[in-house]
Amino acid sequence: MTEEIGKFELTQMFAAAARKIREQHEYLSQLDSVAGDGDHGSTMLRVVQCMEEASHSDSTENLGSLLRDLGWSVMGVDGGASSALLGTFFSGMGDAAADKKSIDCRELARAFEGGLRAIAKVSRAKPGDKTMMDALDPAVSAFRTMASLDKNVMQAMEEAATAAQAGADSTKNLVARFGRAKFVGEKTLGSPDPGAVSIALLFRGFHEGLLQERRT
Amino acid sequence: MQMKKFINDPHHLLPELLEGLALAFPRQVRLVGTNIVARAVPKAAGKVRLVTLGGSGHEPGLSGFVGEGMLDYSVTGEIFAAPGAPRCIEAIQMAAKDSPGVLLVVLNHAGDVLSANITMQAAKKNNIPVQMVLTRDGISYGQNSDSANDRRGLVGCMAVYKVAGAVAEQGDSLDECLRIAQKMEENTRSLAVALRTATHPSTGHTIFELGDDEMEIGMGQHGEAGTGRMKMKSADETAGIMLDMLLENLGVAAGENLLVVLNGSGATTLMELWIVFRAVSKILKARNINLVRSAVGEFITTQEQAGFQIMIARMDTELVRLWDAPSNAPYFVTR
Repeated sequence: MTEEIGKFELTQMFAAAARKIREQHEYLSQLDSVAGDGDHGSTMLRVVQCMEEASHSDSTENLGSLLRDLGWSVMGVDGGASSALLGTFFSGMGDAAADKKSIDCRELARAFEGGLRAIAKVSRAKPGDKTMMDALDPAVSAFRTMASLDKNVMQAMEEAATAAQAGADSTKNLVARFGRAKFVGEKTLGSPDPGAVSIALLFRGFHEGLLQERRT
Repeated sequence: MQMKKFINDPHHLLPELLEGLALAFPRQVRLVGTNIVARAVPKAAGKVRLVTLGGSGHEPGLSGFVGEGMLDYSVTGEIFAAPGAPRCIEAIQMAAKDSPGVLLVVLNHAGDVLSANITMQAAKKNNIPVQMVLTRDGISYGQNSDSANDRRGLVGCMAVYKVAGAVAEQGDSLDECLRIAQKMEENTRSLAVALRTATHPSTGHTIFELGDDEMEIGMGQHGEAGTGRMKMKSADETAGIMLDMLLENLGVAAGENLLVVLNGSGATTLMELWIVFRAVSKILKARNINLVRSAVGEFITTQEQAGFQIMIARMDTELVRLWDAPSNAPYFVTR
């Protein structure tokens, strides 16, 4: 049973998340072409590459600084708002995570919440605006709820992934109210937000990475 | 369909276009760090430095305004995409060296603002004196009143670069540069019209759709739709509709002094721009509004989009003097 997350688990989570994104990057770009430049998939490919590099064997075992470094490298991807938001999320997680080699479920919940807080400081995007926040916010809430019920990381991540997916699906019925997409408004109806779909893929990958780690 | 543009590799547009700019204007600009445009001759120590950031594909904006009298650094993003915060911080750190402070000028677009906010946080943490001004000039069609945060950044940033750059060149304090930048920003409004779409140079896709007999007022800087889609109108009629909205939004009264910038979007001929400018000038005269300064040309474009932006700004003697101050920026030379 996964009780603690260390660098090994994080590496597995990031690798699985990267696989999810690589499988779907063309679909992500296609979704982005509804209201954007159609480059979200290629941005996400560069983001997951940073995630894999951050958890590379040479990097620090200290999860706080590993996540902070990851945040900055993701921001450096220069992929517009999506890489800036994800980078901020990881660096906020790093600030909130204790400078330890492993963290338990409650500590990971606090780190996720720190990531959300960091985003709130730099962006006015709120759930309901049809952005990645529509998947990220429910994922973090679900994780926190499970952590407070003393569930383990695996169970909490499964709930978070499910909540992220539901959040991403819900963006189909939303009209973009934030960022450049808001200026195409109604045209975005019926198609999910690519950033929210990416978040769902990442959390699904995190869960699968944990499952895999458990099997080996 | 094959994209018809003179490029080499759609994935290497940014480094190639920057290299071209630096080679064409070696006495004004050079490239530093990672895709950052800086002055060829750095500003003297002890003076405030101006930094801007933003996506590419809008040439000559924004990097064409780096030079004596205007910007010190331009942090360039990929086509239509904001640069990430790490490179913005890199530029801020370079700018802060031997300087009493840095003014960060940011166009109000979600991605740019995000990177700017992260940059400001990092600067604060490192005790670098930075102030930020958001340029929010672009009004929407049919909205006479709006909140400043709803307005997008269009060509108005150029006026802010010009006057704030002039104050910084004088050796004034960061607070004074901020005051002038804010005064210019608050008194500037722009409105865009498009009549033909453009092709995204990386993807080859058109960035919006418009009927052959249509035009659209209220466009964003990247071809984001406005709400004023209508049948094509003449230069005089179009200028009339747009100027009415601009004057009302800024609350311009008879007897006031205006700067007007007419900015071509990339595929609008100078012939058309002069004909539109003639209309603008006549309308202002009829309303007893003084056209004290003007600029007509391509300053911030959207590839080969056809259309233009009209920018109006309320000017006082202080702003006029700063607007007239010398600049050797490649795409805005004043003597």
